[in-house]
Amino acid sequence: MGIETRLAWRNVWRNKRRTALSVAATVFAIFLVIISVGMATGVHEKMIEDAVRLASGHVAISGAGYRQSMTLEQFVPWDGRLEEVIEAAPNVRAWAPRISSFALISYDDQSQGGMVIGVDPAREKNVSEFSQKVNEGRFVSVDPGPTVREIVLGRKLADRLGVGLGDEILLYGVAYSLETAYELFTVVGTMALPDHRLERNLAIVHIQVASEFYVYEDRITEVAILASEAAESDSLLADLEIALAARFGDQLELQTYEQIMPGLVQLILIDDAGMYITLIILIVVVGFGILNTILMAILERTRELGVVLALGLKPMALFRMIYLESMLLAGVGLVIGLSLALPLLAWLHGIEVPLGGDIAKGTELFGMEPTLTFKLNMINPIGSTITILVVAAIAAFYPALKASRARPIDALRSL
Amino acid sequence: MIRIALSFAGRIGRTLLISLLFQGVAIAADLSEFNLEQAPPNVDARQLARTAEDNMRSDRTFFKGEMTVVSPRLTRPRVVAFHSWEDSQEKKSLIRIDAPSKDKGTGFLKLHPNLWMYIPRVERTVRVPPSMMLQSWMGSDFSNDDLVRESSEVDDYDHRLLGIDTGQGSAVDRRSYVVEYRPHEGAPVVWGSIVAWLDIESGAPLRQDFFDEEGERLRVMRFGDFRQIEDRFVPHHWEMTPLDKRGHKTTIKIEKIEFDLEIQSSIFTTRNLKRRD
Repeated sequence: MGIETRLAWRNVWRNKRRTALSVAATVFAIFLVIISVGMATGVHEKMIEDAVRLASGHVAISGAGYRQSMTLEQFVPWDGRLEEVIEAAPNVRAWAPRISSFALISYDDQSQGGMVIGVDPAREKNVSEFSQKVNEGRFVSVDPGPTVREIVLGRKLADRLGVGLGDEILLYGVAYSLETAYELFTVVGTMALPDHRLERNLAIVHIQVASEFYVYEDRITEVAILASEAAESDSLLADLEIALAARFGDQLELQTYEQIMPGLVQLILIDDAGMYITLIILIVVVGFGILNTILMAILERTRELGVVLALGLKPMALFRMIYLESMLLAGVGLVIGLSLALPLLAWLHGIEVPLGGDIAKGTELFGMEPTLTFKLNMINPIGSTITILVVAAIAAFYPALKASRARPIDALRSL
Repeated sequence: MIRIALSFAGRIGRTLLISLLFQGVAIAADLSEFNLEQAPPNVDARQLARTAEDNMRSDRTFFKGEMTVVSPRLTRPRVVAFHSWEDSQEKKSLIRIDAPSKDKGTGFLKLHPNLWMYIPRVERTVRVPPSMMLQSWMGSDFSNDDLVRESSEVDDYDHRLLGIDTGQGSAVDRRSYVVEYRPHEGAPVVWGSIVAWLDIESGAPLRQDFFDEEGERLRVMRFGDFRQIEDRFVPHHWEMTPLDKRGHKTTIKIEKIEFDLEIQSSIFTTRNLKRRD
């Protein structure tokens, strides 16, 4: 340790109480920043994960124009070519083909329009959470079977129709061949879904049954793909786009969850903006705390500083020393703060903290599960530390400059 | 909680902004592609619309016809034969499908504002819910809503004479008035406006273009094969082209139409709907 550092370290602890208060402010700030960012990251990732697992995955492939019309008209040819491309793409966690269309669902004297999605249960269980959300009965069988057409309904849809397990409901719609499509389906289960709109509208059947019902032959409406991570969505989309353009031209359309659910992205942006504004205010206050502490310290030490300058210490060396004092002050706070926040966040990482009461109702309003999740990643502690160091560096500049510019004669005379 | 409230406020704000921006701004339909002559000043556009509507409607009407649906999906057109009774005073009608065999006997009963459907194969009567109204009717380019909608082209619209089409251009082949129908506020209408070509000689409609609020043309309906029935000049060939679906077209050919009949009201009951004739 150089003489300057040693001096600075001793100087910092001259006024123990003042320094301790300043350090405490820094500890508090870094702790709050890391935990808040960790919570926001965790909650947002969970929001995205939940949303994509009830929708079209991170990346969806559909016929060009499908998102606007949502009809059977725009299809994806399902002849094995697309399957090959997806299997060859890197960063694919899971994928599932689907046939979705609108149909009239009727039981007794009740009827309602609903979204009927044909799924491949074996593949779907790795992509969506539909099968895990079954609250009564079971999901559609992996093997569709020749006689009974099975259907699983959203809980609210089943309630509204007044159907129970084992009841036969009528589905009526228009097939791809423009013939009328109608068949009786047996309800084998209901799903409790966090998204109420989905719970009121969704019906799930086996993809093979849907294909026969809609006379869709070797076509599907979309493939839902889960990337290894949400952040990989864009690069996965780019990879697939190149491979698909070569084989399918402009027949297909690819979209990330951000394009499919712009509302979700905006919600996260607004949430982040609110959080960062609060955190920036906090960090600026800490910066002023450091400024105040150091400024007070050099005012107290004006005589001493005058002496060292008179003895021939270079102003630049004095500047460095005062600067070092500020950074040490911030550094101590950061070390303590990090050593408190990181183990806590590491412990919270991966735990789902249940929420109750009004907050739970609030999150359900947005179709989210009422839990808090935390995530510890590298960028959060590193980014937070650097931010606070930068603020401390800016705050230290003025006191250090003031000290180094003092004229020895004035300094000696004062006090 | 604050964050949720914040984002909620953001949503409401956006919705408000959008609704403010678009309030009452119905953009006029673009008709510059048609060369229109100035119309004489003493023509009552509303009366023209009334004559056109009366030409096709009566209090109680029987109709038998065939609908042909053309689509790029199909190698040969889908043909649906049907007949119907309508009591326009009571806002009731019954449609029975005659062909294809899969749908033979299927009935649609309109008891305003409800639409009922009976499917004989599965012996079920179903009320078509509001959420299904915009879905295709029998695979055609008409929606269930087109069947049920009870709006009057006279009473629910304001009418403005745009000019006279000489019948030389591409729109129609007879000299006709071109009238714009603009719906009243709150009228049960899905269109932003309708532009109708009405035959000067007979008053019958030759063509109608349907636009949305942004002035985008959604549908073109052409009428042809006019036949005189008493004092009416009735088109027996209707052709509807939806402009949002490339390559689609639905035509209706009338085989038989009878006006001002005596129709028993017992025909418009769910009980009768279940009979298969």
